[in-house]
Amino acid sequence: MMRKVLTFVVALAGILTIGVPVFAHHGDAAYDESKPVVLKPCMVTEYDWMNPHSLIKCDYKDESGKVQHWVTEIGSTPSMTLLGWSRNTMHPGDAITLYVWQSKTGLTVGRLNKLVTADGKELTDRDNKSPSRYGAEEK
Amino acid sequence: MRNRFAGAVVALLAVFVFYTAIVPMAHAQSGQGDEASKWKFNPQDFPKGDGGPAPKRDLTGTWAGPGSSPLVPRGGGRGMDKPELTAFGQQMMSQAKPIGKYSPAGTNDPHARYCDPVGFPQNAYTEARGLTIATMPDRVVFLIQYMNIWREAYTDGRPLPKTVGGTGADALDPTYNGYSVGHWEDDYNFVVDTTGMDDRTWINGQGMPHTVNAHVQERYTRVDKNDLRVSLTLDDPKVYTKPWSLGTYNYKWIPNQKFDDFSCIPSQVIKYLNELGDPAGSDPNAEGQRIGGR
Repeated sequence: MMRKVLTFVVALAGILTIGVPVFAHHGDAAYDESKPVVLKPCMVTEYDWMNPHSLIKCDYKDESGKVQHWVTEIGSTPSMTLLGWSRNTMHPGDAITLYVWQSKTGLTVGRLNKLVTADGKELTDRDNKSPSRYGAEEK
Repeated sequence: MRNRFAGAVVALLAVFVFYTAIVPMAHAQSGQGDEASKWKFNPQDFPKGDGGPAPKRDLTGTWAGPGSSPLVPRGGGRGMDKPELTAFGQQMMSQAKPIGKYSPAGTNDPHARYCDPVGFPQNAYTEARGLTIATMPDRVVFLIQYMNIWREAYTDGRPLPKTVGGTGADALDPTYNGYSVGHWEDDYNFVVDTTGMDDRTWINGQGMPHTVNAHVQERYTRVDKNDLRVSLTLDDPKVYTKPWSLGTYNYKWIPNQKFDDFSCIPSQVIKYLNELGDPAGSDPNAEGQRIGGR
């Protein structure tokens, strides 16, 4: 009984805290979701706050010193606004950390898993419960 | 055991107090009274309670729809039926390459690739964040935030057109929003009937098809002062074996009656596809997945 009550309280708190409904414009079948690629640090070259999807462009230097140009997508501007993002979340020159679901093509493009901004703030682009722009029947 | 129970009750109370007292206070302090707040939609600012009885025969005002805020209860696509297609419908449906399976690079969804209008009925529930309803002497006008479009439902008693599309001399052209008429069924239910929608548009992101002769009925129910509920059904016997529900969607009254701008921008979708969507590729045989975020 106690466990049920505790479970209920935790579940309720969880729903109220992170059950933010957001929409997503696009499907994700092109990305490899097995493990995010970590780009730390990645130097922002361009941040496109736009619709249907915003883009983060940054340069990452690999172990050999070679610079990789990465393009990472996040959601639409109203979706991202609900999750604490804005057109000022980052600027060119910022050293950010990106966790990215990379394209299965192997190119340096992907979908954001998590961002750590230059001042240490963590942001995601949606939670797993988020319905898509088409509702639950997209897939 | 008793302590754990007491702890649970305290935690529950804390959650309740946080969401009923502290969150509204914080919002009140941050937004109310600022001139800027009149010009910006605040997804955390909604009236408490139902606001009293619904006014009679009145939908006028600006409403926040599904997806606009965690405080607007989602009716959404979850309420959409899974219809049975006719043989012709299956043939039409087989042409669709939905984005969920084919990704931006491989889809032929005209909205995803080009920001083409999604048309009615999809614009009644896709990206349905903001809706203004205005009443004119001979029609009710629906001003939809996403893509800055409007629909008109005539209330002057005219019947729906009988001939849309085809090659007849008197035939009307199909349009993205079709042709709509509306009437009050009673003091709280406004019913809109629509036909003549352009058959290049999809009913949803899966690519469900329709003909220009599809008939959609919307029912706007003014539940109370602060709540509006919209249900849609579609009848298109050439494509579907029987009428089916397109779902029920909830709207909340917006206190400052202001909504932010939001459109799919053609030049930006070109940039998005060139720089990311197309390079990311298409993997239509992949299992469906939801990635990103927590």
